[in-house]
Amino acid sequence: MSIVELSVNRRAVRISAEPRTNLADFVRDKLDLTGTHLGCEHGVCGACTLLVDGVPARSCITYAVACEGAEVTTIEGLDEDGVTAELRAAFTGEHALQCGYCTPGMLVSARDLVLRLPDADERAIRVGLSGNLCRCTGYVGIVKAVQSVIEARRARDIAPERDDGRKILGPVGSGRSLHRGADAAGQVHEQGTPEAAGSVGRIPDFTPATVLEQHFTVAHPPEQVFAMFGDIAAVAACLPGASLTVPPTAERVEGAIRVKIGPIAATFVGAARVERNPADMSGRIVGIGNDRRSRSSTQGEIRYRLVPGGQGTRVDLSIGYTLTGMLAQVGRPGLVRDLAARLIAEFAGNLDRRLSGTATDAAPAELNGMALVLGALRARVARWLGRDAE
Amino acid sequence: MKPAPFSYERPRNLKAALAVLGQASDSVKIIAGGQSLAPMLNLRLVQPQMIVDITALAELKQAERHGDELVLGACITHADIEDGRTPDVTRGAMHRVAAGIAYRAVRNRGTVGGSLSHADPAADWVSALAALGAKLTLRSSAGSRMVAMDEFVVGALECALRAGEIVETIHVPAMGATAHWGYVKSCRKTGEFAHAIGAVLIDPSAGTARIVIGAIDAAPIVITDAAKLFGGRIAGDYKGRFDPRVADAILAKAGVSNAAHRHIHVSVLTRAVREAAA
Repeated sequence: MSIVELSVNRRAVRISAEPRTNLADFVRDKLDLTGTHLGCEHGVCGACTLLVDGVPARSCITYAVACEGAEVTTIEGLDEDGVTAELRAAFTGEHALQCGYCTPGMLVSARDLVLRLPDADERAIRVGLSGNLCRCTGYVGIVKAVQSVIEARRARDIAPERDDGRKILGPVGSGRSLHRGADAAGQVHEQGTPEAAGSVGRIPDFTPATVLEQHFTVAHPPEQVFAMFGDIAAVAACLPGASLTVPPTAERVEGAIRVKIGPIAATFVGAARVERNPADMSGRIVGIGNDRRSRSSTQGEIRYRLVPGGQGTRVDLSIGYTLTGMLAQVGRPGLVRDLAARLIAEFAGNLDRRLSGTATDAAPAELNGMALVLGALRARVARWLGRDAE
Repeated sequence: MKPAPFSYERPRNLKAALAVLGQASDSVKIIAGGQSLAPMLNLRLVQPQMIVDITALAELKQAERHGDELVLGACITHADIEDGRTPDVTRGAMHRVAAGIAYRAVRNRGTVGGSLSHADPAADWVSALAALGAKLTLRSSAGSRMVAMDEFVVGALECALRAGEIVETIHVPAMGATAHWGYVKSCRKTGEFAHAIGAVLIDPSAGTARIVIGAIDAAPIVITDAAKLFGGRIAGDYKGRFDPRVADAILAKAGVSNAAHRHIHVSVLTRAVREAAA
């Protein structure tokens, strides 16, 4: 087994797979993205065509391990794509599908033609679609649909892009898109398509549905703590379950945080905006993220202020969040407060060790769900007995 | 459909790749874009114990013009050439060949070096680069050597690569200003492997030509003393002087015994000559 890390539909995934696992089986079996269809499984029928680094590739003859770091977009990831939306409407209008088996691959290839072909020449479209087989003999409708979208776009003065916007050399998927520059040949790959652009663009302000107040103290002066809070990578290393997907800047961080509540495991992938005010040693982190498995989204805001106290610093935290999707069904404030309290306790401990120079560089342990449940249970038992949990 | 299990190595540089290949047993296959190898793996026609993926090698993803020569890294894709991300020394000839290979989704991953190493007689670059007079640098941990395309493909799916050796670069000489290029292939379905390929590079001013008859289920026929195909002399009137009977005889001598097959090859070659003259 190999660990494969790549981005699928703008979400970072990290899954173990055998080297022989092709990209189609990878997205279908491991991510439940069954919109990618397998027909011939040897590169002839085109049903499995999806986008790798923004351009079409055959997922049945591309192994997932070879796409480490690549940006994969399946048909599910094209829901919001403008060109695909036009194509879907045109496919409906022209009756360009019957059984639908070839349709996902057909749409991916058609989208590429719409972007690249200078005009709606029927022969060029037929040649361009020759790698996608339709057994319901729907080619007439499919070609008409593609023609109509190209005509409409060119009429709106949208120019073709001969090269799909690709700037680097070599097989698509081999350039390590997520780890820009790691082994990039020639120029760095700039985003292949607007759709493939960073998962989160603008990070909006919001009014949290729930706000939790927490505080902890560390035995180090506020100046030192504040300086360390400016080092995003160091802060992330102290946060259980957190990982960064791209190197952070002073103002922006992209990453994931993995949390477990009992049997529920969620990985929120997203981005955050960082603000700092040295005058009063306060700061704010506003982020949004998504968990693929539970189809849940969260917006979160952490405000902090450092107050000198005793021999060290008291860190006052205000954590606000809004949770939507399936997790919101079980994500009651009480549960989340427990989770946040534990996260913060571990964070404070890690922070303290790092500031004291005793921290190891090992990734912090993911927040242990069992420990959380036991902790909650212990607190509850203690309450029943009328005693403090500690 | 799954390939038989294999272990997988993805070396980060050429030196590491050659070291891995040098130690590997017989049961190792190099993979680049995998557009020819992966179907064979999926069908379990090939069952290597180890796959060495060379697509992380930045050294092989470079394309540069050195004087009168284009030097392509082995991992340059067909789409790189089709889209003009690589320099061109062939006045568009390579661009047109690349654009006609299989399908766009395949061209985005399939590589020139991979296609040549796979040595499928029906593959476009096997014939086209032979006609263009390309040479290859083959490298192993023991050193490197240069081989002309005519010598590289030795049979169907057989090439001159030795154990532990990889195609590093492809050297394409600049096409002369007076040279004419023609490239025609016959496929039963667009994008499918060709049943016949004709590739011709004719310079009527210099009186020279390289004529390739490809996709004959063996190494392509490369004719460098091509005057015999044009009644003994290559000049501006070569289109009218082209003699299909000579081509037919060459095919028969090369072992293409089926008259219908020879007819297809001769027709395709005739079209390539016409295209060059157009």
